[in-house]
Amino acid sequence: MEFLNFLLILWAAWLLWRRPEHERFAFRLLVISCVLMALLFLIGTHGSLVPGLNL
Amino acid sequence: MALSEDRLRAILAWVVIVLLGGPITTAVLLGVLNGDSPCILCWAERTGMILIALVGLFVIRYGPRPRYLGMAVLLGLWGTFMAIRHSSLHLARDVGQGFSTTILGVHTYVWAWVIYATVLLAIGVLLLFVRRLAPEEGIREPGRAGRFATGLFIVVVAANALQAFASTGPPPYIGQGDPVRLSLNPRHWVWSLEELQPPRISLRGAWAIPAPDPGTADPDPAHGPLADLPTLPVSGWERIGVPLEGHLSGLARDSATGRYLAVTDRWGVYLLDGTLSHVVHRVVLDPGFSVDLTPLAGAAFLGGDTVGILCTNKSYALLMPDPQAQERAEWRHFLSTDGQMKELGLGRFQTVRAHQMYVMSLAFDPSARELVTLSVPNPRHRQLVVSRFARRDMVLSSEFRPSLAVGLTLAGPGRGLADYLVTGATVADGRLYAVSAAYSTLLVLDLQRREVVAAYALPGLAHPVGLAARGPELLVAQADGRIAVVERPEP
Repeated sequence: MEFLNFLLILWAAWLLWRRPEHERFAFRLLVISCVLMALLFLIGTHGSLVPGLNL
Repeated sequence: MALSEDRLRAILAWVVIVLLGGPITTAVLLGVLNGDSPCILCWAERTGMILIALVGLFVIRYGPRPRYLGMAVLLGLWGTFMAIRHSSLHLARDVGQGFSTTILGVHTYVWAWVIYATVLLAIGVLLLFVRRLAPEEGIREPGRAGRFATGLFIVVVAANALQAFASTGPPPYIGQGDPVRLSLNPRHWVWSLEELQPPRISLRGAWAIPAPDPGTADPDPAHGPLADLPTLPVSGWERIGVPLEGHLSGLARDSATGRYLAVTDRWGVYLLDGTLSHVVHRVVLDPGFSVDLTPLAGAAFLGGDTVGILCTNKSYALLMPDPQAQERAEWRHFLSTDGQMKELGLGRFQTVRAHQMYVMSLAFDPSARELVTLSVPNPRHRQLVVSRFARRDMVLSSEFRPSLAVGLTLAGPGRGLADYLVTGATVADGRLYAVSAAYSTLLVLDLQRREVVAAYALPGLAHPVGLAARGPELLVAQADGRIAVVERPEP
């Protein structure tokens, strides 16, 4: 999924560079990529969302 | 000093170049040259940095629109959280222990913390000098630095995509918690979904440990995990004849002087005479400073005049009667005092097998000069662990999970010593006696053989909290201040 996320990011960057009139779509790609990144991190911390230390 | 939009975009282009050319390119090079392969958390942290750089490209192309700034701050905050959460897995390990690559002696997940904090700092500084935000329209020419930043971005992200393909695979495969070194040989690629198993999500995970509550335990010995236990009848009842601050939560007896030590769940410590009806010394500990003191759960005489007090969280206090105690000096230790006690020290017992488990009992083994605690089970960790601490330095000297001696049988499958909730313990004649509030049972342990050699049902108890030896007798103290007297068995 990390590979897919980098493809989304590349897509957004290409839009900024070559199709800047599609700002809204590029920004949506950015948001989707952020959500995917956060989701993968939460999957990686399965079991405890906050640090495993005394809070 | 105000910053024009063009100037801001030029500065931001260089910030993006530094971010891409510094930590993100270094991460790729570590993989190609050093075989370093990110774990699933590292991938997310690296992706977050790339996304911040992408937001920078948005600003370069469209000006500083509010939603870009909002997204940059959110990414900076989330990245800081990720770095702290990731680092917390390893920060508390022993010296020199960590995970994977270090740069200048610091592991990469800690560097992520520094980088995200620097990003937030840079955003804050730039915002200080921005003259005005950009309207929601208009496309800007990126300029020379902006074009270079965009080109570099595409090259660096493409390199990351290639590494991600080799290291984590195409969808639906995801990053791994414990990856192998990076290889360009497809035969060595590991594509895995192991991080999806098990898919449980929790706020505190293994640290969600509820405080023990013996009051809810089943007191019926017939429901206990050990089958066909002999009964140990109560031969008499006594009671503590003085008012206590809070409920009784532990009891000990000094065989040399006949005095008793009683502690309460409101941090009261009482040194009583041999009749249990006269307070010799009294203090109420201050639970809030230096070392967190949860409700007191155990007490023991440690030889001489020193007494040890144990809290449910394994914090302890060492006290000693002292007629010359200076009230002014002890004010910082005690909420109230009779003026003749002093604190020798506070500390925290560190355990290994009983980690993340509370305790509710304390005993002192005079022959080994060791303090003994027994863990109480919780939903995350169901085991009975006996931990021994050297009196000399109060450090763990041994731990074991007791086994059952021949002749003791479990009442059924799935039952075990972890079903007991030990709330009182004492050592006498080389044996460790422990009373369980769950199933009102007395366990007798051989400390040398590390096994439970006998167990007895104690019907008629209500919320036992302490255990003390008095010659051939055992005194089982209850939370209500009553004390059941039983004959001390000799298995």
